[in-house]
Amino acid sequence: MPASRDSAIPSVGRAGAALHRPHRRALAPARIPCWRVYLDRLVVLIVVIGLWQLSSLYFGTIWFSSPWHVLTRMITELRSGELVFNAVYTLKAAFYGALVGGVPGALLPFVLRRRPVTSAILDPYLAGGYGVPKLALAPLFILWFGVDLEPKIALVASIVFFLVFFSTMSGVNAVNAQYVNVMRVCGAKERDIARHVVWPGAIPYAFAGFRIAAPYAIGAAVVGELISSNRGLGFTINSGATDFDTTLVFVALVTLTILVVAINLLVARAERWLLRWRPPQQGGSMRVMGT
Amino acid sequence: MTTAATPILEVRGLAKRFPPRAGEAQSPQVLADLSFRVADQEFLTMVGPSGAGKSTLLNIIAQVDGASAGEIFFRGELIETTDTAALNPGWNCQIGYVTQDDNLLPWRTLIDNVTLPLKLQGRYNEETAERVQALLRATNLTGFERYYPHELSGGMRKRASLIRTLAYDPPIILMDEPFGAVDAQTRGQLQQDLLRLWDHGRKTIIFVTHDIGEAIALGDRVLVLSRSPAKVIAQHRIDIARPRNLGNLFKLDGFGDMFEAVRQQLQ
Repeated sequence: MPASRDSAIPSVGRAGAALHRPHRRALAPARIPCWRVYLDRLVVLIVVIGLWQLSSLYFGTIWFSSPWHVLTRMITELRSGELVFNAVYTLKAAFYGALVGGVPGALLPFVLRRRPVTSAILDPYLAGGYGVPKLALAPLFILWFGVDLEPKIALVASIVFFLVFFSTMSGVNAVNAQYVNVMRVCGAKERDIARHVVWPGAIPYAFAGFRIAAPYAIGAAVVGELISSNRGLGFTINSGATDFDTTLVFVALVTLTILVVAINLLVARAERWLLRWRPPQQGGSMRVMGT
Repeated sequence: MTTAATPILEVRGLAKRFPPRAGEAQSPQVLADLSFRVADQEFLTMVGPSGAGKSTLLNIIAQVDGASAGEIFFRGELIETTDTAALNPGWNCQIGYVTQDDNLLPWRTLIDNVTLPLKLQGRYNEETAERVQALLRATNLTGFERYYPHELSGGMRKRASLIRTLAYDPPIILMDEPFGAVDAQTRGQLQQDLLRLWDHGRKTIIFVTHDIGEAIALGDRVLVLSRSPAKVIAQHRIDIARPRNLGNLFKLDGFGDMFEAVRQQLQ
């Protein structure tokens, strides 16, 4: 009986092999070599650029610009220093905002850990604060802080704070009670527990929060600039759009994409170094970027 | 129930009932009127059916959990048992606890795990560091100091967890089926390691297991616990000479009879 491996009903002689095959496949998915992944990523990039080129041919460059236009324009803008100046401004807003919002967001869970009553009181307010669409606060921040960097920092901070806070909080709550007990038995005080058990256990969660927050931070800075600014990549987009200069808009968008990917890579690197104690297969889904 | 003249630990009338769960009028009793004594430097083993409340008993002695009633005396001094807010886990580092899981902190290397209790107690110095090195050598862990727990085998993690407690040298060590989750061969090796370490510097050990052979092979005395609610239903003195070679226990005088007697009582 030929080719029983492909028939629905395997012959008696091969039943064992047929039974084992799907199981093995489930346990060990096919390993793809590293260079293959990079090659295929390149293929996807070429396809995307090709589609872009096709759309600009079909609809006209006035709507879609074109990859070539964007590339040459990008080089001009880089040479003039305009692009770098605006990108740095946006990055500054995102970075300071992430710091102003993220550091308290990562520390507050440790303060609340030993204060269940305060925690319970604040809970609905934190949930409410998380729920408010922060971008809707932008006009208010502009009223309060003017049109320079400060309102953008406030906007970014208001978003990053909640993302990092809730992520870190779940890490603090997920602390292994057995570790705590064992450490107490061998002499750990409350401060030691926080430092040696809760903090290291919560770091992966805080990191996850920062990784999720990073693109939002850039996004919020750009939105702040779109609403009111005379510099930054959001301003670039705005001025490009008002002048019907789609190429400039795309230059800003491509720059933003590159920035977000680069930041993600950096955070992933830092994470991998800080969390080198973890078994490598853990957190695989979190490492989509930067592997 | 009489043992040596100076019990280092005495448990009297211990009872434990967990708070009832939602929809339950009363939760089942886990421990009821449990009493026993442990002599200084005695290796006491306790054997009982799974779910008998053995871990609960050790948690109460280690002061990580409170009792519903009863008293525990450490060298004649009363240890708080019922007021959970006033518990003092480890009784000022006098009672060590080797749990069922190794509970090594995954973010610390082997050596950092083993030395952490000494550092927390402010006792990490040249002398104790030398002691740690001796323990690492005795358990064949030398050379793995810089490894993280996930890079070690199950047996190595068990040994690391064991010497983490031995390193700071508490007078009493509680062991809760510490060799439960390893294969039979590793387990035999771990038991032999434990006996060798214990022969070197005798400590008081309360070793809980559901494995009758292990209880007899390791202990000076075996207490047999009943099904939940747990109480002591029998005790046996084990007179097998030390040092014991665990390789051929069944050839030793009286092991088979003892095994059979305990097995009968456990049913």
